[in-house]
Amino acid sequence: MNLMAEILIQVVIAFLAGSLLLGLHRKIMARVQKRPGPPIVQHLIHSLKFFFKETAIPKTVSKVFYIGIVFILALIWVVGVIAGPVAHDSLLILFGVYAVYKIVEHNSGSSSGSPYGKLSCVRAVLSAATELPLFAAIVFVYLVTGSMNIGEIIAYQSAHGPLVFTVPLAALMFFMLIITKSPYSPFAITKDKVLISGFETEHFGFLRGFMHFSEAIAWYVLLWVFLTIFFGPLNAVGYLIGMIAITFITAFINATTPLLSPNHSVMTQITIGAICFFGTVLMIFTGVVA
Amino acid sequence: MDFVTLGGNLLGVIPLGDIVLYLTPFNLFLFAVLLGFTLLIALSKPETQVEATMHYLYNTEVKVGPKELKQRRFLSIICGIASAGAMITGDLFNFTLFMALVGILNIGIVSAVKQTSVLNSAFNYGLIAMMCSLPLFGGAAIILAATGTLSLAVLSQMPASPMVVFGAVLMLIGILGESGVAPFFASKAEMFRTAGSPYIVIIHLSSLFIIVRAVEILLLVLW
Repeated sequence: MNLMAEILIQVVIAFLAGSLLLGLHRKIMARVQKRPGPPIVQHLIHSLKFFFKETAIPKTVSKVFYIGIVFILALIWVVGVIAGPVAHDSLLILFGVYAVYKIVEHNSGSSSGSPYGKLSCVRAVLSAATELPLFAAIVFVYLVTGSMNIGEIIAYQSAHGPLVFTVPLAALMFFMLIITKSPYSPFAITKDKVLISGFETEHFGFLRGFMHFSEAIAWYVLLWVFLTIFFGPLNAVGYLIGMIAITFITAFINATTPLLSPNHSVMTQITIGAICFFGTVLMIFTGVVA
Repeated sequence: MDFVTLGGNLLGVIPLGDIVLYLTPFNLFLFAVLLGFTLLIALSKPETQVEATMHYLYNTEVKVGPKELKQRRFLSIICGIASAGAMITGDLFNFTLFMALVGILNIGIVSAVKQTSVLNSAFNYGLIAMMCSLPLFGGAAIILAATGTLSLAVLSQMPASPMVVFGAVLMLIGILGESGVAPFFASKAEMFRTAGSPYIVIIHLSSLFIIVRAVEILLLVLW
């Protein structure tokens, strides 16, 4: 298939699947909390709706960044789709994509001039604690498989079985990142309701539409990477079941867990990350991991 | 371990005497993003930060003055270029130099701000960065002494001796402190409270990207 066509198809799949999964996430959370909740397609409809809403730009903003940052956000997750589902390229590129996502989170908050966005920006710096477990998880995958290339990691798993059984604690570290990035997560300190919508507060109209578009793709890419590097090789049905299962699990966790304070959130993430890190190191050096 | 296994197919090499720069899709992505952000920084004006005024019903507007703007914009652009250089360098010592330069520039970007809490944070971060420059350069020096080279292309083909591992661990400590990420981010977070969004974004961006690049470099040296 033509490469450009494949990229386009994969981006559309990522957007639609990501939106429906986020809608499902919201529905499950509502049912756990004994509310009817919105329809599953609500997130998708919301995303499309914003593209046709009037866009207002506050007079306090740093205009180039305020507008540019949402396009960068959309672009980097499209790069994530290209590096992941399309090209099966290096995991390090996806790590880079995630790093840019943190920057976008930071800058879209601060560029508005709003105090809510600003606080969200400062919290984005504090929540950088999630990057280290992600980095450690990727390194452990590399140590076991001898490659950063997603295609080669899939090939390794088809010969030796899924990596989740070999390095379960590394999988747990990655799963912590997924929980952190899921909506209404106990670690979502940048979108705390005391900050209204955090870094998204001052973005309206089609700018917010781009943010919703990116959120949907980000959720799809994160789940895809997790399933691919720890449960691979999977077919389309396997991915579908896996993504729905993870969405169910994270929705249950988020529905029953209160939002932690910034300090507690960071300390919890670092503690779980450290336990998993040293646990995996121990497993490697004691020969539990071949 | 070679470049291809870590960052994808080698797209090209830029030999500048004994300094060899190289590009894989991974390096190119980081390099392009940094240059893109640097361009945006050069073009953009800072926001007006709105803050609530205690005991009164009006808001306070915090702006970046013209003189402060020029200084911070200049340092931010240099920081962006230095970070972009760190993304494609094929020399271990150059990476540590870029890293140290980024640390100094990060402090410089907020040094003209007239907010005590921000300056305190910059001072604390400066202390950590200074202390960590010793293991950073020391680590690179130990690797040079143990292998006789600082070229990543050569180091990636060599088996890691215990001294190389020791040097890499020292470098990792140095990088963590210089970039101010966990567990040192607490000293740096307060720096982001000041106005001037386009300039403080490069502080965060350079720190994160250098950590991402450091992962590649340490894997090249150790495996």
